[in-house]
Amino acid sequence: MPMKDVILFLHPTFGVLGLVAAVWVFVETLNSTDANQKRIWLASLAVAGLFALTWFFAERYYTVYYHAGDQQIIQNGPVPWAHSFFMETKEHLFFIPLILAFYLPFVTRLRLSVNKPARTMVLVLAAFITLNGLAIEGAGAIINWGAKTTLAQTVQMAPAASQTKEVQ
Amino acid sequence: MDTQNQAQAQGQGKLREQATGDTSEGAKAATAAAFGLSAAITVVFNVVLAFVKDSYPPLNAFMTQLTGHHWRTHGLADVILFVLLGWFFMARGIPAGGLTNNTAVTLAGAVVIASAALGLWFLVV
Repeated sequence: MPMKDVILFLHPTFGVLGLVAAVWVFVETLNSTDANQKRIWLASLAVAGLFALTWFFAERYYTVYYHAGDQQIIQNGPVPWAHSFFMETKEHLFFIPLILAFYLPFVTRLRLSVNKPARTMVLVLAAFITLNGLAIEGAGAIINWGAKTTLAQTVQMAPAASQTKEVQ
Repeated sequence: MDTQNQAQAQGQGKLREQATGDTSEGAKAATAAAFGLSAAITVVFNVVLAFVKDSYPPLNAFMTQLTGHHWRTHGLADVILFVLLGWFFMARGIPAGGLTNNTAVTLAGAVVIASAALGLWFLVV
């Protein structure tokens, strides 16, 4: 498999793992006690680390490979808005859960079981990381569909190999 | 549990929360509040930068020139702003009230407004 495709698959994988970790933080915080405090802290570090990895691989794919072909494929196809709306929104929306993920460990190191404002903040952060993450994953699927639709149309318009032989 | 016992339990819970405000926990809470405010501002800054960059090509070109791609510069600008503002607020003891429910409401409001504005911008423009 070419490195381009490896990076393409890695960035949403880490993104999904990051939002699963955010759900983990959310659920643990709903039931926060001193006993699970360290687990919440570690899970929040996992959220930050996984979003950092998502950023790293997304940066590689988006800045190197996406502009070198995928964008043109989508823009010249039947659903150009898969780029103009979904990709444009996604690429800027991503920085919101990234910042929230980096901020999360600042709050989870507080004693959540006895600190209500900190608990509320962690729940807000984990919820928004998850919701934004889901929206971004969904937008990624639509962008992928935009490229696939163009390529499918191109294949349908191209003459079949057997027909080409007959003409020759 | 009758009403009197419930009130007593709630009172004890509050006292317990206040009792945790030791120096290290208080310092951690002040840091969390400072970076919470910084996160709210950074989230809004991220969207404003996206709007300006999208409607003013020279800025986009300048950002591309800095790191080789405007998106790379954008992300770095967000993270650097988050760290610097957080550090600045922490040094100045801002917000004075520390980490409260209002900090969470401010951040949640910033995220909702910024996300919606971003979607609307690329839908309309």
